Amino acid sequence: MNQAEISKLVSQLRVRVNPRLRKLKSAGGPEARLDKLRKTVTALIKHERIELNYPRADESRMYAERLISDAIRYGDCHRETMEMADFWLIEKQLVHKLFKVLAPRFVNYSTAYTRMYTAPSVYPEVVKRAVLELRGNPYPSLVPDMHNNRNLIHNVLLDEAKKAYRTQKYEEIAAKIDAAEKSVSEEARK
Amino acid sequence: MLSTTPRLALSRQLKNFRRFATATTTPAEQPVKDKSDTRKNVLEYRQIYPEFLPDPKIEFRNPIREKLERSDMIARRANVDIPEFYVGSVLAVTSADRHSPGKLHRFVGICIKREGCGLRANFLLRNVIDHQGVEILYDMYDPTIKGIEVLRLEKRLDNELLYLRDALPEYSTFDSNMEIEILPEGAPVPVNEIKVKLKPRPWLDRWERKNLKGVQDLELPQRFYDRAKELETPWEKYDLMKQYMRTVPEEEQVEIFSEVQTHLHRSGAAQKLKRKRTFVKPTKLA
Repeated sequence: MNQAEISKLVSQLRVRVNPRLRKLKSAGGPEARLDKLRKTVTALIKHERIELNYPRADESRMYAERLISDAIRYGDCHRETMEMADFWLIEKQLVHKLFKVLAPRFVNYSTAYTRMYTAPSVYPEVVKRAVLELRGNPYPSLVPDMHNNRNLIHNVLLDEAKKAYRTQKYEEIAAKIDAAEKSVSEEARK
Repeated sequence: MLSTTPRLALSRQLKNFRRFATATTTPAEQPVKDKSDTRKNVLEYRQIYPEFLPDPKIEFRNPIREKLERSDMIARRANVDIPEFYVGSVLAVTSADRHSPGKLHRFVGICIKREGCGLRANFLLRNVIDHQGVEILYDMYDPTIKGIEVLRLEKRLDNELLYLRDALPEYSTFDSNMEIEILPEGAPVPVNEIKVKLKPRPWLDRWERKNLKGVQDLELPQRFYDRAKELETPWEKYDLMKQYMRTVPEEEQVEIFSEVQTHLHRSGAAQKLKRKRTFVKPTKLA
């Protein structure tokens, strides 16, 4: 039984945290594992959308989330956060992007900062693939926009409601015309 | 107003913890309401009551058990005064001994380790008695404990003082009749920056590998330091997820402590009553 460490405060992650960290088959030990993750996190921050193997995507997603949440929480004047950004981002121009672009972009988010999809793998390969992206990226969405699908239940209901409204309006108009005709014919009889 | 009073009383109670034996209280404190201030208060509590935070290991988490444990802890705190203390503070613990029924045992020593969370929270006291090092591991919420007094409230440079076992005995010798040292009101907990001199090897552990701040130069041959350097893991401090999995996120801490706050206030009031009663007693002696 351990006591929780209290020296540093962290924000809660909005993604699922695995109970155990993956070793990622790194021959060089934990240092090499961090190196692998570092490359992926740097690529994610740089390109905003990457396709890679699932385990590595899932693992580096947590690290990217932590990096962004720390950047939002402590800002660029906090020495430890700066050191962390310096370690995790191999290309140093991305440090500016993290603090000046991504932190302001995500500051009001109530969801996770990244999104992950499973990607299809080509037949002879059985490795699970994934697409990892930052939210609010400039690329077109990966999932098709289903809002206008006529068969979706809310669209069906909306159509029916529209139809009912229209028939009601037509009836009203017809009633008005009837009344007008009646009055005209009554005047003519006089 | 109702919501602010418990917090106010709690902060007063905390001050009492710090000053421990002084009788005056300061009711003149601005009631504060905004959210950020609660947060600040709550984040102070994590230093004082670290055992209220759950074990961060995900497999061990169980919200219902944690909640039940917290309520049990509060119930225990209503009966016995468990003051604020840190590793490096000198404590006196009075406990019932099952081998000598009807008698109380008082042990004075320096707290060299705090461990565990919830009802299993414990602390290790060390003293040298008759040239013999003695350590007693107390469970904080053990019902046989009759009282805990903080004789000297201070912190040290390290989170664990286990190296005192290999240090010269004068560093862990404390008089059992030591008097309570009262800190000025509102003062931060002082950090004792003493550097301890260790006895020559053999030791109980390889202290040169522990990156200790509170010890003097270890006076070892160079090969020991070389080996320590080889075994260092400098990348570990960059492992953001390891860091995350060793702590409890702030949102959860705020939730836990704001839940506990009101209850602690009640036990704090009970403690105050008790203290008053004990305060009357000395007149009989005189």
